[in-house]
Amino acid sequence: MTLKTILMAGALSLAGAAASASCAFENTVPLKSLTAGFEAWKAATDAMAECGNFSASLDQEFKEKQPEAFAANPALYQIGGVANETLIPLLNAGTIRPLDDLVAKYGENLTPNQLIKIDGEIMAIAMMVNAQHLMYRQDILADLGIEEPKTYADVLAAAEKIKAAGVVDYPLGGTFKTGWNLAQEFVNMYLGEGGNFVDADNNPTINTPEGIKALETLKAMTAYMDPEYLVSDSTYVQQQFQQGKIAMANLWASRAAAMEDAAESQVVGKVKMASAPMGAAAPATSLWWDGVVLAANMSDEQAEAAFKVVMEGMDTEMVQANNDAAVWLVPGYEAGPLAAGAAASAANGARPYPASTALGILHSALGNGLSAYLTGAKDAETTLADIEANYITAAKEAGLLE
Amino acid sequence: MNFRTFAAFVGPSVFMMLLFIAFPLISVFVQSFYVTQTVYEVVEVETCTPGFLTQTCTTEKTSVPVVGEDGHVLTTTEFVGLQSYANVLELGRAWDALKSGSWSAFQTIDFWKALRFTLTFTLITLPLNIGLGLGIALMINNAAKAARGPVIFISLLPFIITPVIGALSINWLFRGDGILTAAMEWYSGRDIAMFAQAWTIELLMMLYRVWHVAPFAAIVLYAGLQTVNSDSLESAVIDGASRWQRLRYIVIPHLMPLIIFVSMIHLMDAYRVFEEVVGFSSQGHVISLQWLTYDFLVPDQAGNRSISRASASAMLTMIGITLLLIAPLRRTWRDHKGGH
Amino acid sequence: MSSRAMRQPLSLRLTSNSLLILWCVIAAFPIFWITVMSFKTPVDAFDANALNVIFGPETRAKGHGVSLLDICLLGLALWGLWRGAARLLPSMVRSYAPAGAVWLGWLIGAAAFGLVALVTLFGLLPVLSNALNPVLGAFGADVIGLTTEHYKTVWIDRGFSNNFQNSLVVTAGVVTVSLTVGTLAGYGLARSGSTLAFWILIVALVFRALPHSVLVAGYLPVFINSSEWLAPILGENAPTLYGKPMAVIAVLVAINQPFTIWMLRSFFQNIPAELDEAARVDGCNHFQAFRRVIMPVMWPGVITTGLFSFLLAYNDFLVTSLLLDAQNQTMVPAIAGMFNRETTTTDQVVAVAAAVSITAPLFILVMVFQRQIVSGLTAGAVKG
Repeated sequence: MTLKTILMAGALSLAGAAASASCAFENTVPLKSLTAGFEAWKAATDAMAECGNFSASLDQEFKEKQPEAFAANPALYQIGGVANETLIPLLNAGTIRPLDDLVAKYGENLTPNQLIKIDGEIMAIAMMVNAQHLMYRQDILADLGIEEPKTYADVLAAAEKIKAAGVVDYPLGGTFKTGWNLAQEFVNMYLGEGGNFVDADNNPTINTPEGIKALETLKAMTAYMDPEYLVSDSTYVQQQFQQGKIAMANLWASRAAAMEDAAESQVVGKVKMASAPMGAAAPATSLWWDGVVLAANMSDEQAEAAFKVVMEGMDTEMVQANNDAAVWLVPGYEAGPLAAGAAASAANGARPYPASTALGILHSALGNGLSAYLTGAKDAETTLADIEANYITAAKEAGLLE
Repeated sequence: MNFRTFAAFVGPSVFMMLLFIAFPLISVFVQSFYVTQTVYEVVEVETCTPGFLTQTCTTEKTSVPVVGEDGHVLTTTEFVGLQSYANVLELGRAWDALKSGSWSAFQTIDFWKALRFTLTFTLITLPLNIGLGLGIALMINNAAKAARGPVIFISLLPFIITPVIGALSINWLFRGDGILTAAMEWYSGRDIAMFAQAWTIELLMMLYRVWHVAPFAAIVLYAGLQTVNSDSLESAVIDGASRWQRLRYIVIPHLMPLIIFVSMIHLMDAYRVFEEVVGFSSQGHVISLQWLTYDFLVPDQAGNRSISRASASAMLTMIGITLLLIAPLRRTWRDHKGGH
Repeated sequence: MSSRAMRQPLSLRLTSNSLLILWCVIAAFPIFWITVMSFKTPVDAFDANALNVIFGPETRAKGHGVSLLDICLLGLALWGLWRGAARLLPSMVRSYAPAGAVWLGWLIGAAAFGLVALVTLFGLLPVLSNALNPVLGAFGADVIGLTTEHYKTVWIDRGFSNNFQNSLVVTAGVVTVSLTVGTLAGYGLARSGSTLAFWILIVALVFRALPHSVLVAGYLPVFINSSEWLAPILGENAPTLYGKPMAVIAVLVAINQPFTIWMLRSFFQNIPAELDEAARVDGCNHFQAFRRVIMPVMWPGVITTGLFSFLLAYNDFLVTSLLLDAQNQTMVPAIAGMFNRETTTTDQVVAVAAAVSITAPLFILVMVFQRQIVSGLTAGAVKG
């Protein structure tokens, strides 16, 4: 590449940014957004930017900055991106505004499913859902004569057969990275067993037969996984899938598209999306949503402009251009085979992630405490008891428990 | 130099350190004795969240913070004395574990686990760092004059590389079937997983740290070697001193102040080991003191942080490093007084 | 050490030199490896077979590759640039820069050199290789898969040049302020034997040992709400410090002060106090003595200390990731962001390319200043 082409390309990309205003109106109010950084947010904020006067921060530290930045007066960001759990601190602090008026005025394209209502007031607009569900190599399972696994007993039996056949490095993959990911695996499994995390007084209730069952299933799976499971996050599991090293994994719906990406995947067309395996009570997964909130600390004119920009950011046009980037809730989304796993899990009765202040604390405690059981440092009961003790210390410090 | 001139010279520097280091430090110190709690009330809330096709609405009793008249969440701040320190140290559990003679039970308590690793890490990397640094410095000094420049340049690479990126590249080299793990597997004919057990991760973390900081020691000591008095070396040769004796009795004593300087810097940096824990995602196996503090400090998804425990653990970390530094500091005091 | 008696036996020299070569390989390998990865397609970059990563069959299959000729040309160009940097540049600066402004000469020289390097590597080289490759047959055929598309993605599509500028602003700010403030303090501390000076040094040392995450987390709310608490002092125009490079510079300077003043103090202690005392006998006050007598001889130590400040500011992640937002983010948090968010393998190779890009300036810097670092250290910038 010559210097000239670099300069040309730079000039072209600048010109491109200025020209491609496929937004229905010209935004004149300066607006900023703070969201997480994954592909779907990039797609949405790029579409918002087409309206002009808008700058997006796609920041992996967003959950740390958002509560402070929205509490400032005026708020540093007008638009925020949240999920089930990250909505809680903003909601608790009262730094986001109810959107009922704006939805009535400009939200004619929204479906009722998108409106997140707290006590009847619309507090956020969801744009996508996400859930972990089973992905498996249909070619391998068909070769070995294995039916689609429906429960974790099926999964483990299938893994045993695959291991015996020796067709892949490891039969199972798992997002077992210590911390948030590992805790999320436990939450899925525990929800599948029908467990409840805390009681009405916020006392922990995970040291139960269901909790022990969930732990034992997790440990049974590790026997079929890469021994480095405690450091594997979703990107790593996705890569193992793409390189044909694993045959099954409970992976996020938003990762499904990567299996079909010919540029990096060696298993195009071979991975099937299925419902998350059933626990005793429900599919072992939890439904998540991602959506937009507007700050309370800004003028009504700003809020109006911000809402209009948000509507442009999650319109049909954007979804059609990025159909496979997520399981969108926006009209115009075509649920293809890649979304089949999330859909089947939902149809089987998957529960939403039970977001609350208490679960935020418990999720952290689980993330730090579970590895001790998997490495064999503690038995299941001690592990759960220690996690509960940790939770109680933290919850008392936060004022949640007396 | 009178006091006013002195103050004018050091004023700006001292002011910046007071503002951005001392002041936050004092507030951390104060916070470690207080607990600030949010006031919660239990209310019934109906929450509607999207499902795949239709919404699910649930009505539950949940705890929500009370918002005061000024629009801010109500909080209460209470003096708790040493309670937060007790929560971090978990002395009761630690004592029980020790009494029953179970080291492994003792090592399941976060603070002690972190302290064990931090101390091991610091004390093992210290001699390795000095040894390797001195070795490289002597070898560069031995090399032909023309080769020294390029060699110094290459030697400095591990030191200048951005730590986040250095840790990541080591990650790629060893993670899964990374290129170096694959090489070791080929050499040993066994299946090797470097990130599957605590000791290999610890080993990697220490090797990475030595790789990263030894160039600094090497370059400082190499600079020191340039000022070794060649007369005394030559007279030692005439007296029949062996190569080793010359190194032991002339070169190393000459380098001693520099070795102490490098050790002091290394002690401070190694004691707050943190980037390795994050870079190698070793939390499942080993944690360090600064990581523990950081973990208390970062908010979970619902925005809760354990400020009091974080402050207490930070103060405990500080006490530890001060204890480690006392020996080298006494020497500085003597120098300072003797030098004037 | 030229005396005959100091000559070493061959076996010792051989052992010493081969160990040194081994060390150089260990030191350079990880960086070499990520550089190789950054030029391959995702499938090649993460291949478990080392040879596939180096030769990149997949990359070559896609029509991206270099021939033996290209490699020779590149080698030649790099050698020429290296010679230019090591020999030509210093002599040119020495002869053309006005006596009082050597640093300015270096600055202009370095900028000009950077320009020449860019033009040679990206302008001249491709033209030459495009013209010669088809003519030379086997010598001009692709042997190693190599693609620059990830660099294009990083610098053009992802707007990494913006992060680069932000890094420049922050780094330049930190080095300038840190050295100005630190030189004064270092000099003051070196020339004062008072107990206060000692305690300042000790407290600074304890500050140096502090875990940074503890301090930094406290900054966020204060910086975000700064327009509120600054309002009584500055009135209407009180700024929000969050997201301002100035604020980050101030924090980094403060964090870096302990190390800076320790280094500079030791350095100034090695400059004989008689020098400035003589100036003061001639009627200068302390500041004049500092400016007239000390400043001309302090550069070796200041350059060395400045390099450490540069490294700290350039490589910082904790402070910059927390206190800057996307519009003025520096390179390191931007790269960490590329890795941490939900990524694809392609994204990861792009991030590797970004990681290599950010090491390049460090490379050049050390190449240029390597001699100054050693001479600064030798002159006593570190003395315990």
